[in-house]
Amino acid sequence: MIESIEFRNFKALREATLPLSRFTLIVGPNGSGKSTGLKGITAFQNPGVYHHKNLRTAGVPETVPVGVTARWTDADGAQVGSLLWSASEGTRVAYYVPNASSQAVKVAEVLQGARIFALDAVAIAQPVQLQPNMEMAQSGALLAGVLDRLRDQHPERFEAVNKELGRWVPEFDRILFETPGSGQRSMALRTREGHYPIKAVELSQGTLIALALLTIANSAKPPSIVCLEEPDRGLHPRLLRDVKDALYRLAYPEGSGEKREPVQVIATTHNPYFLDLFREHPEEIVIAEKVGLESKFSRLSDRKDLNEILADAPLSEVWYSGVLGGVPAGT
Amino acid sequence: MKIAFLAESPADQAALTILTEAILGCKAEAISHTGLRSRGWPMVRTVLPSVLKDLHYQSEAEGFVMIVDSNGALPHLPEHELPNPHEPKCRLCQLRQIADNTLSQIHPRAGLAPLKTAIGLAVPEIEAWLLCGVDPHVTEAAWTNGLKEGREPYSKEDLKQQLYGTSHPSLALETQKMTEAATRLSQNLSALEKLFPNGFGAMLKSLRSW
Repeated sequence: MIESIEFRNFKALREATLPLSRFTLIVGPNGSGKSTGLKGITAFQNPGVYHHKNLRTAGVPETVPVGVTARWTDADGAQVGSLLWSASEGTRVAYYVPNASSQAVKVAEVLQGARIFALDAVAIAQPVQLQPNMEMAQSGALLAGVLDRLRDQHPERFEAVNKELGRWVPEFDRILFETPGSGQRSMALRTREGHYPIKAVELSQGTLIALALLTIANSAKPPSIVCLEEPDRGLHPRLLRDVKDALYRLAYPEGSGEKREPVQVIATTHNPYFLDLFREHPEEIVIAEKVGLESKFSRLSDRKDLNEILADAPLSEVWYSGVLGGVPAGT
Repeated sequence: MKIAFLAESPADQAALTILTEAILGCKAEAISHTGLRSRGWPMVRTVLPSVLKDLHYQSEAEGFVMIVDSNGALPHLPEHELPNPHEPKCRLCQLRQIADNTLSQIHPRAGLAPLKTAIGLAVPEIEAWLLCGVDPHVTEAAWTNGLKEGREPYSKEDLKQQLYGTSHPSLALETQKMTEAATRLSQNLSALEKLFPNGFGAMLKSLRSW
């Protein structure tokens, strides 16, 4: 498991460490480094495409190198190594594996498999050109193809998505497919009453985002690390427990009867109702804070007085008050 | 009997319904206002008057049942049941006072008796009740004595781990395990009353008085 990511002179993250758990929820004001932190993780995939001048923190001299270090622990929680990529003036990013063990190679592979999702309903609804291997894009695009493959290759998982969707959005009971052109697929949902097909482009934003989330959670081979920007977007507050369950299904598969390796999940949110659902796991909550041009991260459970602060108040209200930090300056 | 339940989740409601039916010895008939939800303490204090007024004026409910977790707050104690009992630090006393105040200020409804209420306090959470008969160390007395000594004898995570086999259960797993445990306990309410005499006992007495 990636235990932390350390950033040095990486955009707004001049000197910051993002602590991670199997599931991590990051809250903080706009521009506080939440998305930059996620980008830092996926930057390990293609370090060569990043250039020093595009990454350097504003105001930092050109001669100062940029670096991102991932530290990971084994199943017992013992720290077993780190992986660094860095770039100096005039150079592109390169990997550096301090202890080039088989573990380090494995973690490099895990980082290569990380995916960020910032789901967009318009993209999710679009028809797709079918390919032998379909993978959902960052926006959720290609979902129709991913579900088409899931139906053919893992019908039990496809049925699980149908069943869950029917619980989340009870007016629908089944995903249908259409062929708008040669080699193409588009989706529709069947109404429970009357069995009418409703085309994806006609569905609500929340329904499409719910479908994408359920597909990720029920994937036969999910990404090694799943990063989700505001997975609660567009969904009714009463569905947020289901969103939490979908994300926990990846991170804690044993809690849902899944028999597979846990997937590390990192999500961001601005939703106080969603935040409240994690009150009993403050070690999973990270507060992002912006101080001047710099951003910092801190784990909520590191607050020594947390129990007193939350004794008689909801977490969301305490967060909103500013007591925990992670609120916009000047508001 | 037509009963409305206010719970934090469908899993809690399933368990509460089974226990309520066992105590009353009759089925809880569904009302038009199904699936009332609260977001736990302290928000439930704010929403309770609105829920009660709505049930009173807009539903056919004859009874109302809810529970709240005590967490680290003062559990309900026998002395809270004495005349003029309101203890401001006790969540059950606070909710009872809110319910009494609300129901005393509303107009009688035509054709229906006043709404009956029963409120329970799960110490520290409903999972503790549902472990009754499974873990002899989990009792209201153990928790209350622990708090007096400035410690928690077991954590809420311990309780979840015991009941669900994981500290991160899905809602489906919670519902399944809670339903199983509540069904088991419905055959042995006296054990639950003995080990949780104040938080569960208060709800039981209220229900038996209906």
